[in-house]
Amino acid sequence: MTDAADGTPPTPRRRALVLALWAAVVLLALLQILRTPFVADLSAFLPASPDERQQILIEQVESGVPARTLLVGIDGGDAAARAAASRALAAKLRASGLFEQVGNGETEAWSDVGAWLFEHRYLLSPAVTPERFTAAGLREGLQDTLSLLGTPAGAIARPLFERDPTGETQRIAEGLIPSSAPRSEEGVWVSRSAPRTLLVAMVRAPGADLDAMAAAIARVHDDFAAVAAPGLVLRVSGAPVFGVESRGRIEAEIKRLSIAGTVLVVGLLTLAFGSLAALAVAALPVATGVLVGIAAVGVGFGQVHGMTLAFGVTLIGEAVDYGIYYLIQARGLAGRGGWRAWVHEGWPTIRLGLLTSVCGFVALVFSGFPGLAQLGVFSVSGLVAAALFTRFVMPVLRPQGAAGTLLRTALGRTGRSLLGAMPRLRWPLVALGVAAAVLLAQRSELWRAELASLSPIPQEVLALDASLRQDLSAGDARTLVVVQAADLQAVLELAEQAGARLEPLIDAGTIGGYDSIARWLPSLRMQQARLAALPAPDALQAALREAVAGLPVDTARLQPFVAEVAAARTQAPLTLPALRSGAAGASLAPLVDAMLLQRQGDDGPAGWVALLPLQPPIGGAPAPDGAEIDAAAVQQALAGLAAGDPSAVQVLEIGRELTGLYERYLGQAQLQALLGALGVVALMALTLRSPRRLLAVCQPLALAVLLSMGALALAEVPLGILHLVGLLLVVAVGSNYALFFDLLQQPGQPAQADDDTLASLLLANLTTVATFALIAMSAIPALRAIGLVVAPGALLALLLAAAFARPRP
Amino acid sequence: MRTLALAAAGPLAARAQAARFDLKALTALLAQRREAEARFSEERHVTGFDSPLRASGTLSFSAPDRFVRHVLEPRPESMAVQGNTIVLRRGGRSRQMTLDAVPELTALVEAMRGTLTGDAALLQRHFETRVEGEPGRWTLTLLPRDARLATQVREMQIAGQAGEIRSVGLWLTNGDRSLMLVDNLPPGTLAREAR
Repeated sequence: MTDAADGTPPTPRRRALVLALWAAVVLLALLQILRTPFVADLSAFLPASPDERQQILIEQVESGVPARTLLVGIDGGDAAARAAASRALAAKLRASGLFEQVGNGETEAWSDVGAWLFEHRYLLSPAVTPERFTAAGLREGLQDTLSLLGTPAGAIARPLFERDPTGETQRIAEGLIPSSAPRSEEGVWVSRSAPRTLLVAMVRAPGADLDAMAAAIARVHDDFAAVAAPGLVLRVSGAPVFGVESRGRIEAEIKRLSIAGTVLVVGLLTLAFGSLAALAVAALPVATGVLVGIAAVGVGFGQVHGMTLAFGVTLIGEAVDYGIYYLIQARGLAGRGGWRAWVHEGWPTIRLGLLTSVCGFVALVFSGFPGLAQLGVFSVSGLVAAALFTRFVMPVLRPQGAAGTLLRTALGRTGRSLLGAMPRLRWPLVALGVAAAVLLAQRSELWRAELASLSPIPQEVLALDASLRQDLSAGDARTLVVVQAADLQAVLELAEQAGARLEPLIDAGTIGGYDSIARWLPSLRMQQARLAALPAPDALQAALREAVAGLPVDTARLQPFVAEVAAARTQAPLTLPALRSGAAGASLAPLVDAMLLQRQGDDGPAGWVALLPLQPPIGGAPAPDGAEIDAAAVQQALAGLAAGDPSAVQVLEIGRELTGLYERYLGQAQLQALLGALGVVALMALTLRSPRRLLAVCQPLALAVLLSMGALALAEVPLGILHLVGLLLVVAVGSNYALFFDLLQQPGQPAQADDDTLASLLLANLTTVATFALIAMSAIPALRAIGLVVAPGALLALLLAAAFARPRP
Repeated sequence: MRTLALAAAGPLAARAQAARFDLKALTALLAQRREAEARFSEERHVTGFDSPLRASGTLSFSAPDRFVRHVLEPRPESMAVQGNTIVLRRGGRSRQMTLDAVPELTALVEAMRGTLTGDAALLQRHFETRVEGEPGRWTLTLLPRDARLATQVREMQIAGQAGEIRSVGLWLTNGDRSLMLVDNLPPGTLAREAR
């Protein structure tokens, strides 16, 4: 650096090299962005869980049957009009082909399933055992069926009596009766709590296909408009609605935030520099950072979530500072070598600021939420790119920095008097900090935000969903038994064994009932055992003769039964493909899909899972912990099944599992935030190399965190992971301010630099506070939480840093 | 509150009954009982069966909404209704169901519960009613209003003496019919026998 005092631009060769490199980076980033898909679904709010049981839960939320099930309510009008609309809408939706199944309580839709069950009764009935076809067994079966005849319930059994006198169809139906079902009036489902008819529509497309979900929802609205009488109101809810709505919300948010952020930054830069050329140059580090950040996320995750883009505006707030610092400081140093002097005097400060911010954002990368991890990668790579641009490309473009406007001088002067007044408030602020500490110590339940608080779904939409779910009761089990095995037959056998253990729990009132795939598709072994239990015609005739003694039936009448049992002996066992493609396949496939899943691993299919939803007992004793179902008792009943593989049969409590999931991540995040904060402190210790100065710098930071938390506690805001992330960002950003004041106080710093430095500091703080304030006004709770903490926190950090600045010796 | 009002209205109603014994008078009479226990025997005449099908067991009721029918012969089984839940037990298996998910079943259960609690409004919601006889010996005829139930059940006839039900007859549209004879017991008998 022989020409250190000379402000000449870098050599042409160096200029060409730097610009070519930059152009290459921008080009590569653009290419990567073009091939990266953008998503805006809810997946960002679901933790990427390592626990296998929770993985099943998340797969269910993301792509299970609930993910493509629409809940529909029809309000208004009178009962007859609502029932008519329900029938007409269901008919239109069934005809549309968009839905796998549309349920509205009309039983006519199930006649094909009834015929299918009857046809396969000797494969499906759990009563089919060798004992069933002894004289005593037949007699019991006959008596059970006879006990129905002559009652209203016997109306179905009587025409079938000669073919199914032991009531196998009845026995199958008994297992399939839901223990809780929607109320039915005029042949359709209605709400118990409101004048409303109900429908459930299962979309054919996978739940992740939000365009298909949006089309299905639009179809429901259009078809309703075509058939509904005036005065009727349609309400649609369910996971697809949430997915489509939140995508819309996030997209609108990205647009709003990026426009507002751009306007804000351009406005501030115009105020600061009053020159379009300087403005364009100052915005370049941000633009480069945003491009590199998005590309890095694309490389790391294979997709970019809309949330990440919306969050990009905060990166603007940070990275724009670099440009401002450079332009102002390089101009301030113009007499002493411009950019060359800046490399020695200004760059180390920016580098330190960059490193502390990276410490903060790295914690996000490991937060366990894919959405937050993306934000972390985006911010770290974006900030590094913006800083590198500032260090290497800015001197090429603007070796002398940029002249400021009068306004910037005024800003510097205002800053000086404002910040100069702060030290007088030092002791009142300390007192406030003590008060905050006392308040926080008294609040034991500070960290009580729930997973749902991250969801971008508004409260009233959730309330509608909850009320529809309550009315529909069926198909929304909160407790499941999850059975897993490597192949289909093994999982069916395990499901059968689990079912046998659950049966006594119904009698004991521990559960109200359960659903199982094994009722529709018994394992091959079970089906073969049932076929083997069917006696040859002669043996059956003999047993039957003995069985009917004293009953008002004779064997001649039961010859159709003998013939049907003989025919059933040669029946082929049911298989999954046959079930799907059979006569009742259209009705059976959705049932099967809801209870039987083939898991997909990284390399092809990875085993089978059967879900056995449990229904709570009605009027039964609640579990000791107040839950609807005593999961411990269920667990105990299932103990010892599939010995040696504890993950083969598990009890899954969805609500508790989600809460547990979140609490675990909160715990992890707290540790990561602490490590991030320690990283910031360690960086400062390395730079300052003086315990006294380190302490002086840490004081305002600690106080800023304390006061921010105190304010949140005072406002009764339940704190969650995102507030924690916000606090970490306050520490990262605030450490820059504290260091600035520390450097200002060091001997050898030119006093005249103060105005310019103060102006750049104030401007940087203003952009940070303003961009996070934008985020605080977001409709997305996850972004709002971060904004609410960082916007006031960053301002507080600056004021506190000034308040704790020591007068220059 | 309701019990008190009914108790006060009782003697007045009794005087009015002499003039006209209608549903209101009958239900006022029936509402005085909060609990009931009985043995029953049932005969069902089913088309295609020469001899009647028989069953016997116990019945119990406690206000406001609990009703249990326990068949002891020929095969033990039970049906217990409480509120909107019905629990069926047979051969060591239990099944729980939501009553209002099956409106036909609701109407039949409410016919029994409405009669036992003396709830005229409940009976009239599900049936067209006709009362014949006098307080000492009456017949309540119920014709289903629900179109689906009407395709299965033609009419139900409950006969009794004072506040006690003596028989329940059921005529189905397919020609089947049943008659259940009720033999009332002093409250607590069944519990004592169970011990």
